Amino acid sequence: MHHAHIDKFAYQDSPVHRLDARVKFIAAVIFTAVVISLPRTSFAILFCYAIGPFVILVLGRIPLKFVFKHILLVSPFVLILALSCPLYDKTPVKIAFGPSVFQTTVGWERCCTICGKFVVTMLALIALVSTTRFSNLLAGLGKLGVPKLLIIQLGFLYRYIFVLIDTAQHILRARTGRTFRNLGVKQEMKIASAMLGSLFIRSIDTAERINIAMHGRGFNGNWRTISRLKISNNDYIFGVLFSVFVISLYFFAVPVLN
Amino acid sequence: MHMANELLSLPVAGGTLAIAGGVLGLICRKAKQVITSEKLALMGILGAFVFAAQMVNFRLPAMPGTSGHMVGAVLLAIILGPHAAAIVMSSVIIVQCLIFQDGGLLALGCNIINMAIVPTYVGYYLYRIVTAKQFSNLRTYIGVMLACLIGIEMGAVLVPIETSLSGVLMVPFSTFLATMIGVHFLVGLVESLITVTVLAYIQQVRPDIVADNLQGKIRLSKRAVLTTFVVFTIIIGAGLSLLASGMPDGLEWSYAERPDQPNFKPVVSNNDSRIAVVDKLQSKYSLMPDYSVRSDGEDKKIQALAGWRSFAGIFGSITTMVIIWLTAWILRRNNPKTVAV
Repeated sequence: MHHAHIDKFAYQDSPVHRLDARVKFIAAVIFTAVVISLPRTSFAILFCYAIGPFVILVLGRIPLKFVFKHILLVSPFVLILALSCPLYDKTPVKIAFGPSVFQTTVGWERCCTICGKFVVTMLALIALVSTTRFSNLLAGLGKLGVPKLLIIQLGFLYRYIFVLIDTAQHILRARTGRTFRNLGVKQEMKIASAMLGSLFIRSIDTAERINIAMHGRGFNGNWRTISRLKISNNDYIFGVLFSVFVISLYFFAVPVLN
Repeated sequence: MHMANELLSLPVAGGTLAIAGGVLGLICRKAKQVITSEKLALMGILGAFVFAAQMVNFRLPAMPGTSGHMVGAVLLAIILGPHAAAIVMSSVIIVQCLIFQDGGLLALGCNIINMAIVPTYVGYYLYRIVTAKQFSNLRTYIGVMLACLIGIEMGAVLVPIETSLSGVLMVPFSTFLATMIGVHFLVGLVESLITVTVLAYIQQVRPDIVADNLQGKIRLSKRAVLTTFVVFTIIIGAGLSLLASGMPDGLEWSYAERPDQPNFKPVVSNNDSRIAVVDKLQSKYSLMPDYSVRSDGEDKKIQALAGWRSFAGIFGSITTMVIIWLTAWILRRNNPKTVAV
């Protein structure tokens, strides 16, 4: 079945894909931190910052249509909260843009900045995940000091999410095929809980079989990977370019555009 | 409710990340003694189960057109114990952030605290306290109900606290709090009903799985469901009457009138001393504590200059992106053989 997950582009090959997972992860965290600490009034500077993840996405051959569709898909919660800003802050403010000057409220300004920051940080996150294989990312996180138990848990989780989502979709399809009208709350709940219960028991049975199979192959609680994590020259170049980009924008463009 | 980066300020995001990281590290160290290597596969698959379970939706009672799904934190806590459940839920939230982009990278700390650590621990210990190792039908039922409602509610209450500490959102603290409590009251109610029914099902089919934390037989009787609804009606009624008399406990229901009245003023005003303290904290720790209103008499020249600068910033950036994209497109079109997938 088709899964709308972003990870599918992580298996391509490009200079960006070949960068070390740790470097990319740290860069994404720093970038996000810098972007969310930008002042409220600087909407224009967000566009300048957007260039960074944009370059990564283009170099990594990630279709931009897919990226924006994905951002739209995860935006509702932020959108609702951002749109509530204009209701509560009606302090008038003048915004100059090009030749014209707009009269608006601080609330709207804030709303625009929140949405803008959301898009830019999402671009950075998508740029990270769609150019890094999850197993490499996990290995990198492990080297950065994330507890081993959590890494193993994440590895298992990632491995079996799509298997179980498939199973759930089969069950859902079966329910749709047998339901022709609204059955009432009680019946609906009963069916849903039976579905969840059987899904749960199936998961546990699967886990038991996997456990036996893994022990048969000598698993003793240690997760072994053939990870080839090595910081190469390209990573240094990327790191330097990234810091130059972020720092120069912060010190030269932010005061000017603010 | 997944928090986004943009609703948090840097100190709050960093602080919650540090707390979540520290707590998770402690839990992992503690859980190492409890969790054998046999349990690793089980935990991983139950994390995947949470994902799959969130796809199984059903129509919500009383609200046509909406559907609910399960969150799963309390169910996992009851079956696996709080440490393992907290690890599983945290891993679910990390994967939701990294693979499905639900919630931001820096908001990860907040999300882990709100949706993984708080509901599992609060839920588990409430359940243990209420059942007190005597698993009668009624005790189990009440225990699961309370665990789900209060566990989820406590996580939800943290969201407005975190945002108001950050000072990014303009929504008044009390209104946001009331909305979150109200919405998550419904979420918790649905969650508790579905958790009880799923537990009852598992107990019927595979009693060995839940043997440690659930004994005897639980049955969801019509009477129990009816009683629950009566109790909740009384609670809601009491809340409404408190609101009518202007008591601060009526907070919960102040949100009820908001959707159709955008200008609705919260019943509770902001001059409460606690809120003043929160405001003080907020102005102390937020990066942009106060905004100055630009006066009308500001020099027009400066304003025009600023306008052209932002104009140049936005259009310059967009042009740069278009040029980059076009260059990549042209390069790729000319030698398609470099495309290696």
